[in-house]
Amino acid sequence: MADPAVASGGPLNAGARGSAGKATSSPAENYLLARRRTLQVVVSALLTESGFESAEKAAVETLTEMLQSYITEIGRCAKAYCEHTARSVPTLSDTVVTLIEMVTNAPVTPKALSAGQKRTHPAHIPSHFPEFPDPHTYIKTPTFREPVSDYQVVREKAATQRRDVERALTRFIAKTGETQSLFKDDITTFPLIAAQPSTIPYLSALLPSELELQALEETDSSEQDDQTDGENTAGNAITDDPGADKENSMLPPSGVVPSTKASEDNVIDNPYLRPVKKPKVRRKK
Amino acid sequence: MNRKKDKGFESPRPFKLTHQVVCINNINFQRKSVIGYVELTIFPTVVNLNRIKLNSKQCRIYRVRVNDLEAPFLYNDPTLEVCHHESKQRNLNYFSSAYTAAVSAVDPDAGHGELVIKVPSELWKQGDDLKVLKVYIEFSLDQPKGGLHFVVPDVEGSMAERGAHVFSFGYQNSTRFWFPCVDSYSELCTWKLEFTVDASMVAVSCGDLVETIYTHDMRKKTFHYVLPIPTAAPNISLAVGPFEILVDPYMHEVTHFCLPQLLPLLKHSMSYLHEIFEFYEEILTCRYPYSCFKTVFVDEAYVQVSSYASMSIFSTNLLHSAMIIDQTPQTRRCLAQALAQQFFGCFISRMSWADEWVLKGISGYIYGLYLKKTFGVNEYRHWIKEELDKIVEYELKMGGVLLHPTFSGGKEKDNPTPHLHFSIKHPHTLSWEYYKMFQCKAHLVMRLIENRISMEFMLQVFNKLLSLASTASSQKYQSHMWSQMLLSTHAFLKSISNVSGKDIGPLIKQWVDQSSVVKFFGSFAFNRKRNVLELEIRQDYTSSGTQKYVGPIKVTVQELDGSFNHMLQIEENSLKHDIPCHSKSRRNKKKKIPLMNGEEVDMDLSAMDADSPLLWIRIDPDMSILRKVEFEQADFMWQYQLRYERDVVAQEEAISALEKFPTPASRLALTDILEQEQCFYKVRMQACFCLAKIANAMVSTWQGPPAMKSLFTRMFCCKSCPNIVKTNNFINFQSYFLQKTMPVAMALLRDGQNICPKDVLNFILDLIKYNDNRKNKFSDNYYRADLIEALTNSLTPAMSINNEVRTVDNLNADVRLILEEITRFLNMEKLLPSFRNTITISCLRAIRQLQKNGHIPSDPSLFKSYAQYGHFVDLRIAALEALVDYTRVERSSAELQWLLSMAQNDPVHYVRHKILGMLCKNPPFTKTTDSALCNEALVDQLWKFMNSGTSHDWRLRCDAVNLYYMLFGLTRPSCLPLPELGLVLNLKEKKAVLNPTIKPELGVGAVMDTPASIGIHGFNTMEDEDIDMETVHDSQAFIHHHLNLLERPSTPGTHTHTHTHTHTHTHTLIAEYRNTHTHHCRGHYIHVTSYKQALDNKKKPAKPGSVRRTSTSAGRG
Repeated sequence: MADPAVASGGPLNAGARGSAGKATSSPAENYLLARRRTLQVVVSALLTESGFESAEKAAVETLTEMLQSYITEIGRCAKAYCEHTARSVPTLSDTVVTLIEMVTNAPVTPKALSAGQKRTHPAHIPSHFPEFPDPHTYIKTPTFREPVSDYQVVREKAATQRRDVERALTRFIAKTGETQSLFKDDITTFPLIAAQPSTIPYLSALLPSELELQALEETDSSEQDDQTDGENTAGNAITDDPGADKENSMLPPSGVVPSTKASEDNVIDNPYLRPVKKPKVRRKK
Repeated sequence: MNRKKDKGFESPRPFKLTHQVVCINNINFQRKSVIGYVELTIFPTVVNLNRIKLNSKQCRIYRVRVNDLEAPFLYNDPTLEVCHHESKQRNLNYFSSAYTAAVSAVDPDAGHGELVIKVPSELWKQGDDLKVLKVYIEFSLDQPKGGLHFVVPDVEGSMAERGAHVFSFGYQNSTRFWFPCVDSYSELCTWKLEFTVDASMVAVSCGDLVETIYTHDMRKKTFHYVLPIPTAAPNISLAVGPFEILVDPYMHEVTHFCLPQLLPLLKHSMSYLHEIFEFYEEILTCRYPYSCFKTVFVDEAYVQVSSYASMSIFSTNLLHSAMIIDQTPQTRRCLAQALAQQFFGCFISRMSWADEWVLKGISGYIYGLYLKKTFGVNEYRHWIKEELDKIVEYELKMGGVLLHPTFSGGKEKDNPTPHLHFSIKHPHTLSWEYYKMFQCKAHLVMRLIENRISMEFMLQVFNKLLSLASTASSQKYQSHMWSQMLLSTHAFLKSISNVSGKDIGPLIKQWVDQSSVVKFFGSFAFNRKRNVLELEIRQDYTSSGTQKYVGPIKVTVQELDGSFNHMLQIEENSLKHDIPCHSKSRRNKKKKIPLMNGEEVDMDLSAMDADSPLLWIRIDPDMSILRKVEFEQADFMWQYQLRYERDVVAQEEAISALEKFPTPASRLALTDILEQEQCFYKVRMQACFCLAKIANAMVSTWQGPPAMKSLFTRMFCCKSCPNIVKTNNFINFQSYFLQKTMPVAMALLRDGQNICPKDVLNFILDLIKYNDNRKNKFSDNYYRADLIEALTNSLTPAMSINNEVRTVDNLNADVRLILEEITRFLNMEKLLPSFRNTITISCLRAIRQLQKNGHIPSDPSLFKSYAQYGHFVDLRIAALEALVDYTRVERSSAELQWLLSMAQNDPVHYVRHKILGMLCKNPPFTKTTDSALCNEALVDQLWKFMNSGTSHDWRLRCDAVNLYYMLFGLTRPSCLPLPELGLVLNLKEKKAVLNPTIKPELGVGAVMDTPASIGIHGFNTMEDEDIDMETVHDSQAFIHHHLNLLERPSTPGTHTHTHTHTHTHTHTLIAEYRNTHTHHCRGHYIHVTSYKQALDNKKKPAKPGSVRRTSTSAGRG
């Protein structure tokens, strides 16, 4: 499938190199030249078929170039469509869409491949739009299995599934990382993921894992975080003017809050929340 | 020194401290160093104060100034190296006495200190107007090993981003480790504290934060704290780090601090604190004494909880989210403990070490009241029983715990605790376990006092003490009121007698002034003719840790007609007590039976003895004696007691008694209790284990499915499919705890071949398989950990053909299943770690058990990797526990070395402490067993460790002493070669004894006594003080280097010798040594003093006074 890519690179290279082409003799270049020669033969044959008896070399070259560009574009475009639908091998429909895109008449699907009765366009769809594809490509037949209602089976299945997932996951990680073993002779039967010391071990040990955290959020989402942390207050303080600082320092240390302050709801007078003062100026030169 | 007779507080110092400034200018996390200064304001209380003794350890002191005059100083810390130089002495008696002497020599409670400052003569000459002196000391600390702990995670980023922090810690008075001070609980002063830290950090300390000011470069800020309430230096602390700040939403003067990222946990964990506050303030009818309170949660904490004036430092591992069940009560208990100590311990401080029990007792007691209120009476009584059992077990095993030691006499016989291998004279020489038991006993004794005088009076006493102290605290120093804030045994007892008017003297004498507990044996017979219960109560007061009890004892008898209390008097020789019964036996009448609490119940009386009206008997049901009771009554009586007695303590006693009666009736009683939802959950949990034991004893006659299986199925499994457990829902905590416990107990069941029954194992494996926590509001980590523990319990020793190598192929099929589960759990934990890594911990224990039972090869490497620094601390401890066990089982010298080197070098103090503690509990060998591990190198290593390697941590040193005792005993370790010297003449006892290096008695007793005498001397005569510690080590150097005494046990000799040269002891001591030695000592003594003088002369021109002193002392020597 690398062909389109190679082909697209081909003409560019050939064009850029020009005369240098002769000197090279690497296999890739040889392929290029061989393809080009084939196309020249095709163009010549077509010209002959159309009644030309002779053609100038430049004209043949130009036609060859056009043909090659055209084919290359089809390949590139088909590949893009195929990758767009998460496939690696272009299918017929990719090429068809490509050709439609390039405003060529799409090749008709061979009769042998079409099945069923195609739908006709409804009134609101202009007729120049492509036809509907074969019905089997879009018709769905609803099917369902009887849901397993047996509690025991559900639990059994959930348990087994979880266990399988866990085992697969841990085995994978054990295989890809360092392991420890309980047996000296056999290190694969019970592989233990090696213990890795961490720099701040208490974080992972104390904080709930993300899984658990989700559940937690559901229960107490009402908690709001209106605490300002030290750095924030520090940042604010720098911009504060000295006058404001003085006002703050007039406040009593704690406990007895003036009634005016207390009436304001969100003001908590705590010494750790107060802004940091600037150093006194007297020492500055 | 008998404090009881002292009226007020007498300071042992010739000066009084009034105010201290501590200023730390620079904290360098990279280098782990601290620079700062202190300034102490002192009032001399004598004319001509020429020496000031302060405490300071490991600080480098740059300069000392007294009132702006440079002052010369001497620094000597005898605890750095307890026994000097390479003495061949290796017996513990010798070490303990030397250690006690060393601690005494710098004991602030006796007015001593490591740092001796000479007051410039200009200042002391001015004499009698007793002016204020300001002592200014500049100091630094470089990589402190004790006192301050730096936690600096090794990651990228600035110190604040890395979560680096530092905090102060210590066991008892340890503030001297981080700044010079008078490190005594009885020397109070006001404080000004200043800490300059990085702008991204917060410094939390004692007192009110007055202001925070940037430095000029705006890169740092200074926190200014003022503590106007007189506080002792040991109650000062500091924590600096990039803490997240949470102002308590209920009490704005309370602020909480935690490390970055933990704020949500902090919010949840602290949401409860205000209730504890309210509770204490209400019962004590006293406001919290400080104007603010701070809680700081730090990593690598020394202990879980430590309280200081207006702040407490906690381990960060106490924080938890709302999903965690098991940690919640524990954290709340820790908070309550910390807060109780704020009132008694921080605000009210102790007068002397002998009064420690009062403060620990009161804080423990009010903490108990909190437990009762919050967790209920059942929990409280259960806790009291647990604590009582603990102290009884300890004292019976190790000997008595003495709450109020008095060190009056100087005689050898007066050593109050000869059974201990350490001295209880100082907190710093105590074994940690002893200290824990001491605290436990203290609060139990407080409860006994409450029983005697009523809780109301008790609270009145506390209120009185607090209001006295709070009045005193607001006074100026000049009013001399501050000593009211110190609590002594005497003052406490006086207050009790004033308030209650009752004499509790006998109680105090029995439990406080005397160590040990009481051990009762009870049995009875029913005399049908007289309708009398003949009760016999015997005591064992001869074995160690026991004492004789004389006094009242309560006996409760449950009869058919009701429950009756009888107060019996235990007297010298009366063993038998006749108790008249109230009811005739009459089993035919169908009538409800009244219980103690007034409830009337129907009972099936068919089991009881037709002739007797007795249902059950309880001795001392209120636990008002510190005792162990072994009571004999028939199995049916225990069963009735279990079913119908409503007191949880009685139920628990019945359960442990029923273990000895494996009958279907016992089984039925236990099963009924298990099912009864009204029954206290801890009783039901205990019943599970008892049932397992009974089932095992009845294995041949057991009918029906394995014990507890059908019960568990009924309670926790689906109705439609009984083999599948319901999805987890832990909303009912009682059944949660039961669900956790039952599998663990079931796994202990054994069949006829003594292996765990196949269906039990499959049952547990199914529980694991079908465990589903998705719909649960709580985390199931503890439950899963317990399921693994159940798997571990099911293990039995492997059938093995001799010395077969354990491989995967010959693995037992069941074990393979277990191993698979463990592997999966262990691996999943790496991806989704559980709270506090509980699951990994259980897995490690399981693996060790598999190894021990010979299912898999015994190998320490897995545990070693988990024990490394960098794992969560619980995990490390579990791994270390497995390693300690491995070391013992395999007698591995390499592992022992590995453990010891970790105990010496690990960055976390708690881990080091735990290693030694676990080695003591599970020692690789003991003094009575022979082992290849016991060799000279190990003796030397441990000796060195406790002698000099642990000088920065009192607790660790005592742990090392404990371990040494465990391994080698008190005398010279048997693995050492005999020393060359033969006999020594002991003039004191008028006999020749073996060389003291073999037999330790020589001199030890006398040495033990000397510290007290030093203390007394230190008080009275300034002259003696001048020649104590400074000279001691110089003189030792002299002996060893110049006089070249070889293997003589010279250290304690000279030690004491120099100390107490004026003492009468000296002559005996000298006589105990060989003649030559005596000569040397004498000659040497003169040398030393003059040598000292020469040193002094170098510094400054000799003063006439010092010359005179030298000559007098030389003359005496």
